[in-house]
Amino acid sequence: MNDLPLAEAQLLALEAVLRAGAAEASHALSNWIGKPTEITSDAVQQLSLHDSTSVLGEGDEPICFCIVELAGVLGGCMILAFDDASGLVLADLLLDQPRGTASEWGDMETSAALETTNIVCCAYLNAISRAFPHREASDPEMVPSPPQFSRDYASSLVEFALMGQAAASDHVLLAQTQFQIDGEPVDWTLLLVPDAESMTTLRDVFSSETDLA
Amino acid sequence: MSTRPTILPAAIRMGEMAVAQSGGVLRTLLGSCVGIALYDRRRRVGGLAHVVLPESRGKTETPAKFVDTAIPALVEAMQALSEEPLRLSARIAGGAQMFKTSVARRIGDQNVDASEALLRTMRIPIVGRHCGGSKGRRMTLDLATGVVRVEIVGCEGVEI
Repeated sequence: MNDLPLAEAQLLALEAVLRAGAAEASHALSNWIGKPTEITSDAVQQLSLHDSTSVLGEGDEPICFCIVELAGVLGGCMILAFDDASGLVLADLLLDQPRGTASEWGDMETSAALETTNIVCCAYLNAISRAFPHREASDPEMVPSPPQFSRDYASSLVEFALMGQAAASDHVLLAQTQFQIDGEPVDWTLLLVPDAESMTTLRDVFSSETDLA
Repeated sequence: MSTRPTILPAAIRMGEMAVAQSGGVLRTLLGSCVGIALYDRRRRVGGLAHVVLPESRGKTETPAKFVDTAIPALVEAMQALSEEPLRLSARIAGGAQMFKTSVARRIGDQNVDASEALLRTMRIPIVGRHCGGSKGRRMTLDLATGVVRVEIVGCEGVEI
């Protein structure tokens, strides 16, 4: 097995697909919260196992996150991660109240985070599904699970999410996005973490794509 | 009860290990991986490994990644710090299943089982254990005292 998950040309092809996902997710999130929103897909990263767990921060402070597990043609998970203050901004936006009003994670705040994750991830996956090269109608769909909310150490979260890839390689692939709402950056991060089987799928799909180019 | 360490060195990351003698604190953050802390109380030699998977299946490049290579490598590295044979005890933590539907759910249990089995085979007594559940853990080993502390977000830390 190659030590790096994808070759450079495969990475570029995947990044193009993810940009389409980010554009559709931006539109869906703008509609949901009623504010102009921009989700920017960063470069896909291929990191050593050692370095991977710090992608959401080096510190030991806990973070909040919602995770959606993926099945079908692309397995793995998507994670919307945020610190407490940035996550609680969501509830303020959705309840049309001044920023800083929501101060702790109650039912309303948690529900806002979960529903936002659902909307963003589904829009992202729909676009990825359409943009995936050489898809046939009979190919399996991408099936997201209901999102789950938790608060935990960032390193523990990323470690767990990467376990599938870690079993197959000493390097892992993940894609990261940044958010802006109403022109202001917010400290949310969306991670797409394919599982080990999907890495084989991505290599196959984008090999054909880059061979044709 | 020892006081909570206030100086936090760089964490031991996935598939890494560290050994040291007498002073300082080793720490790691765990999900379904397992932290294996070994300590000799007389010599105050300690080591901590963050293992990812139960079996190396012949891979030798990253010994601390796998239970079956990490524990012997940890013992060897610790023994190199002492001229006399070490008398080790072990404490293990981690092996969580953080999400209900994750494909990684079985790996945590397998890591714990493999660690316990190999430690038994190597006749290293396991004197503390904090495994399973659904939350990540911060595990610290105080090299001056041998105290291993496990913390979970939202809960009181415990010594094991």
